[in-house]
Amino acid sequence: MKVALIPQRLEQRTLLALLLTALVAVSVVSLLVGAGTVSPSQAFSMLLGSEDSEAHFVVWELRAPRTLIGIAVGMALGVSGALLQAVARNPLAEPGLLGVSAGAAFAVALALVLGASAATLRISVAQLGALVGCLCVLGVARWRGVDNDPIRLVLAGAAFSALLGAMTSMMLLFDQRSADEVRFWVIGSLAGRRLEDLWAVLPSMAFCTVLIALIARPLSALALGERMASGLGHHPQLIRALVVLCVALLVGAATAIAGPIIFVGLVVPFIARAFAGPDIRRTLWFCLPIGPLIILTADIISRVVVAPSELPLGVLTALCGAPVLIAAVRARRLPML
Amino acid sequence: MTLRWLKPEFRKHGAAALLSNDASMGIAPPEDAPVKSPRGYWRWGERRGGGVSILIEQRAVWVNSGLIIVLMLACTAYLSLGSVILDPRDVVKALAGQGDIMTGFMVQELRLPRLVAACLTGGAFALAGILMQTLARNRLATPGIIGIDNGATAFAVASVVGMSVSLAPSAMALTGAVTAAVLTFGLAAGSGTQGYRFIVAGIGVGAVFGAITQLLLARVAIDTANAAYPWTVGSLNARSGGSVQLLGIGLALGFVAALTLARSLTVLRFSEATASGLGVNTSARRIQILLLSVALTALAVAVAGPVGMVGLIGPEIARALSTPRHVPVVAATLAGALVMVLSDLAGRTLLAPIELPVGIVTAIIGGPWLLWILMRPQRSHA
Repeated sequence: MKVALIPQRLEQRTLLALLLTALVAVSVVSLLVGAGTVSPSQAFSMLLGSEDSEAHFVVWELRAPRTLIGIAVGMALGVSGALLQAVARNPLAEPGLLGVSAGAAFAVALALVLGASAATLRISVAQLGALVGCLCVLGVARWRGVDNDPIRLVLAGAAFSALLGAMTSMMLLFDQRSADEVRFWVIGSLAGRRLEDLWAVLPSMAFCTVLIALIARPLSALALGERMASGLGHHPQLIRALVVLCVALLVGAATAIAGPIIFVGLVVPFIARAFAGPDIRRTLWFCLPIGPLIILTADIISRVVVAPSELPLGVLTALCGAPVLIAAVRARRLPML
Repeated sequence: MTLRWLKPEFRKHGAAALLSNDASMGIAPPEDAPVKSPRGYWRWGERRGGGVSILIEQRAVWVNSGLIIVLMLACTAYLSLGSVILDPRDVVKALAGQGDIMTGFMVQELRLPRLVAACLTGGAFALAGILMQTLARNRLATPGIIGIDNGATAFAVASVVGMSVSLAPSAMALTGAVTAAVLTFGLAAGSGTQGYRFIVAGIGVGAVFGAITQLLLARVAIDTANAAYPWTVGSLNARSGGSVQLLGIGLALGFVAALTLARSLTVLRFSEATASGLGVNTSARRIQILLLSVALTALAVAVAGPVGMVGLIGPEIARALSTPRHVPVVAATLAGALVMVLSDLAGRTLLAPIELPVGIVTAIIGGPWLLWILMRPQRSHA
C-alpha cells in the first residue's frame, strides 16, 4: 500500500515543488512591496543587512505579519473550499457563496454590537457563526432535496448570504462605534492585522490539520457515493459532520482575521483540481500553496494599484473569482464530484 | 374545456384580441344575437351587431382597485407617521394647501417628495421585474438578481465620484445597466435563460460590478464614501430632484409601453414556437421588453440605489392575486409601489431615531421569500 497523503506521480511532485518555490518568491515580494514610502530597494538592502530603522520597522512589524497572515488565510480558505466541494459533491460549493463567511461575519458583528471586543472571543464567535451558517444552508438543502442540484444550492447560499449581509448592516446602523470597528473588516482585508490574531487562530488550525489528515482517506471514498463508502467500511454521516466542522473552524478563523473574502474557496480548488485530477487528497496538497499564492498576489496588487491608499482584498478576489464562477457555470456539463 | 363548448364560443367571438393585460377585445360576427361574455369577464361596448367590444377581466379590476385603495391608505400613513405624528385629516388638508404652515411644510416639502420617489421607484423596479421574468420565463430572473442593478450602481457611483452634474447619475446608470444586461445575456447565450445557470451567471456579473463599486468608493475621500454608502445599499435619502423627474417621465412612458406589450407578454410565456405561431414577432418583442426593463431599472437605481428585491416581491404578490390568464403588469406596478412605500415607512419609523435604508428592509423581507422559492421541491419554475 502506498502512503496515503503524498502526491504520487513524479510530475505532480515537481509541480508542487514549483508552486512552493513560487510561494516563497511571492512572500519575499510581499515583504518588499508596499503602499508606503519604503521602496523595494530599501527593503531589499535592509534584508541583506543594512541598518535602516524605518525599513526595519515597516518590513518586520507591518509587512511580515501581514504576509504570514495572508499565507494562513489562503491555506484555510483554499482547503476549506476543497473540503466543502468534496462533501457537497458540488464544484460550485464555496464558503463565501454558501453563507459560511456571511454567517461568521454576522456572528462577529452581533458580538461587537453586544459589547464584546477581545480578539480570542471574536475568533470563537466567528467559528460558531460559520458552523451555524454552513449547517443552515447544507441542512435546509438536504432536507428539501435540493442538494443534488449544484446550481440551486449556490443560489440558496447566495440568498442566505444576502439576508445575513442585510441583517449585519442593520445591526451596524444601531451602533456607530462597532460600525467604525467593523467597516473595514467586513470588506475583507489583510491591512493592519496583528500577529496576535494569527497566534490566536493557530490552535484551531492545527486541530483541523490533524482532523483532515485523519479523514482524507474516507473522504475520497465518499466521492464514490454514499453506499460505496459504507461498503468500504466508512461512516459517511460521521465524515460529513467532521468535514463541516473543519470547514467551519477554518473559515471562521480566516474570517475572524481577514474578514469575509469570497471566491477564494472557489478559485483555489478549481485550479488545484486542474493540476491534481479528481483525487481529493492530491487536490488538498495542491490547495496548500495555491491558496496563499492567490491571496498574497491579490494583496500585493491591492497595495500597489491605488497607492498610497489601499484596495480592500475582497474586491480583488471578487474581480478574479466571478469570471471563474461564470466559466464554471457556462461549462456544458458541470463535473459532478 | 371540451370541443363542443369551444366551438360556438370561437365562432361568436371571432378573433378575440387582448387589448391590454386586463381587458381583451373581441369582434362579434354581425348576424348574431347579444353575445354572452365569457365567465369572469365584463363586456364593455357594443351589445349586438358588428361593433367592437372590450372584455374586462373582473378579477383584474377588483385586484387593481383593491391595490390602489391599499396604496392610498399606505401613502396617507406614510405622510402622517414619522418623527412627528400628524392627524391624517391634517395631512389631507395640508395636501390641499390649507391648514397650518408647519404641517404644510412638513407634508409638502419633506414627506411628499420622498413618498413620490418611493412610489415611482417601487413601481419601476416591479414593472422591470415582471417584464424580465416573463422574458426569461424564469421567476428568479429579476434585474436585481441577475446583476443589472449592480451594473447601474457601479456606473452611477462612478459618476457621483467623478462629476457633479445632476442628471449624470441617471445617464451613467443607464449605461451601466445596459452593459450588465449585455454581459449577463451574452454570457448565458449558450445555456438559455430558463435554467438556474443563467441566474448564477448573473450573480457572477453582479459580483464583478459590486466589486467595482467598492473599488470606486475605496479611492475617494472617506466623507464622500460615507455619503455614498446608504445609497449603495438602497436608500431614498440621497435622491436628487432631477433623477426623480426623469424617473417619473420614464415610468409613465414605460407603463404605457408595457400595456401595449402586454398581449405579447401573455403569449411569450409559452414556448417560442407557440408564440410565433400566435403571430408574435418574438425576436423584436424580446428586444423591446429587455430594453424597457433595463431602462426602468436604471432610472430607478439612479434615484434609490439597488433595491432589487422589490422587483422580486412586487410581481410575486401580483401573481398570487391575479389569474394566470394574463401577465399582471398593472397589478405588479401597484404592488411594487406599495411594497416600497411600506418598507420605507417601516425603515423610517420602526427603529427611530435610526433610519434603516429601504434596501435593507426589502432584503430582510425578500431574502426568506427568495429562499422559499428556491427550496420548494423541484417543479417548473417559470
